[in-house]
Amino acid sequence: MTRYWKSMEETIKHMLLVALALLTMVPIIWMASISLRSEEYVFSGHIVWTGPLHWEGYVKALTEVPFFRWLANSLRIGALQTLGQMFVGVCAAFAFAYYRFPGRDILFLFVLMTMMIPMQVTLVPTYLIVNQMNALNTLAGVVVPHLASGFAIFLLRQSFLGIPKELAEAAAMDGAGAFRVLWTVYVRMSGTMLWTLGVIAFLANFNEFNWPLLVLTDPDQMPLPLAFQYFRTETQMDWGATMAIAALSMVPVLALYLIAQRHIVDGFAQSGLKG
Amino acid sequence: MKLFIGYRRKMLLLPFLFLVPALLLYAVFFVYPFLFTFLLSFQQWDMISPDRTFAGLSNYAELLRDEVFWMSLRNTFLYLLMTMPVSIGLGLGLALLMESLSRGRAAYRFLFYLPVVSPIAVVAILWSLMYDHRRGVVNMLLTFFGIDGPNWLSDATASLWAVAIVGIWRSFGYETLLYVSGLKSIDKGLYEAASIDGAGRLSRLVHITLPLLSPITLFMVIMGVISSFQNFTLIKIMTGGGPNNSSNVLVHQLYQEAFQFFSIGKAAAISVILFAIVLLISSAQLRLSRSAVHYS
Repeated sequence: MTRYWKSMEETIKHMLLVALALLTMVPIIWMASISLRSEEYVFSGHIVWTGPLHWEGYVKALTEVPFFRWLANSLRIGALQTLGQMFVGVCAAFAFAYYRFPGRDILFLFVLMTMMIPMQVTLVPTYLIVNQMNALNTLAGVVVPHLASGFAIFLLRQSFLGIPKELAEAAAMDGAGAFRVLWTVYVRMSGTMLWTLGVIAFLANFNEFNWPLLVLTDPDQMPLPLAFQYFRTETQMDWGATMAIAALSMVPVLALYLIAQRHIVDGFAQSGLKG
Repeated sequence: MKLFIGYRRKMLLLPFLFLVPALLLYAVFFVYPFLFTFLLSFQQWDMISPDRTFAGLSNYAELLRDEVFWMSLRNTFLYLLMTMPVSIGLGLGLALLMESLSRGRAAYRFLFYLPVVSPIAVVAILWSLMYDHRRGVVNMLLTFFGIDGPNWLSDATASLWAVAIVGIWRSFGYETLLYVSGLKSIDKGLYEAASIDGAGRLSRLVHITLPLLSPITLFMVIMGVISSFQNFTLIKIMTGGGPNNSSNVLVHQLYQEAFQFFSIGKAAAISVILFAIVLLISSAQLRLSRSAVHYS
């Protein structure tokens, strides 16, 4: 009897979760559904489209605007910014985790503090600096101001602290210099964390909107999320094409998420949130 | 002796060598702009003319007389109250439901986290169409349940709610994920011991699970306040702060003042006020947490 109730309870929970998951998916289902309709059926009132599929929206999105150029811009900004953040982060995290030096704790507190301050507090002066350096509408102007990431430094330091210091000391005994210790011990042993951080940072950088909006005003330079906004104002009434380009913009992100799901999920489990 | 001094100096020099990239970047793109914001908030400037003139406290005085500012300030807090409790509650509920299942956990986790990784600009445009008065899917679904939905984005009483719903949709998966990993790290022996002592489900939840999750909850609350105050993209794309500033928030007003009206001094003053609010809330939270949070 209790076993019967157990399986009954499990079924009810599944029903509840499936309903919620469906509700959560409505926007994405609807997006796909609108993007595949012909013009006359866009407003037919069906949520899920079962009629013939029309790919005009996708053709428009791929041929009438430089979609692949925007995608390339996005990938370039995302990759460079992520690699830069990881490099700066690994170096700083190593200094914090491996060495003892005067001012270390205060400096680390400062790094934590930078995470707590909304980026908009420094937005206007940062824009003025980039403008003064003549770096508006350049890749460097988008990427460089956000290379020092408190999030990256914090996570990497946590991960480095978990590596036994004896290993590093043994390597140093064998005559390894600081760079060698960093590379052979700390970087090699934090593979999972580096991948995790890389994926999370890449997604964030790929999706960033606010800062590129200010720096990149030239449509040829824009990353997808920004260019997409520009595309909408051009084709105000064309829902099919708008939804098609929205769906296309989601593809790279979804692909990465599918491939790296484990890293994203595990990363949060070990990011030291246990207090 | 000489060797010893060399060694000591190296020990000091090396860590700073590794910190140079980070410190240099922070100096140029964080500390300097941060101090610069304060300076700008006491000046009058339109970004174009070569001269910035000293204006004393007039930017702040102007803000205090500005109805839009009070509206934005109110909406910033309202948005926080509309999104954070729902998002955290939903995250906790879903995590508890999912962890008690024997199968299918990974699939749910995947689906609920999908909105979190979606590009926010795409999400904003997608939802703008979903909120369309007649043709959007939101009102279509509401009609199905017999509810006559408002004209979400052009109705001053509904616009902030419309944005908040998207904010919740985008963030609860993150909270779910954090709670799931928190639940995994709880020692199952605690539950068994409590069961033997006769504790029911509810009392195990209240006396074991929730206290052990409290550090995660604190983290979510602190990060939630900061990220909800930074909610710019949804507002910019979905409503532009309208209609009639009914959905304007501080970060969006800051953007308008700086890059649409070119009153840099006023924008900087908003930055300073935003900073002061975040500082106040964060330190209050940390102080409160010392008594309320349970560290195992």
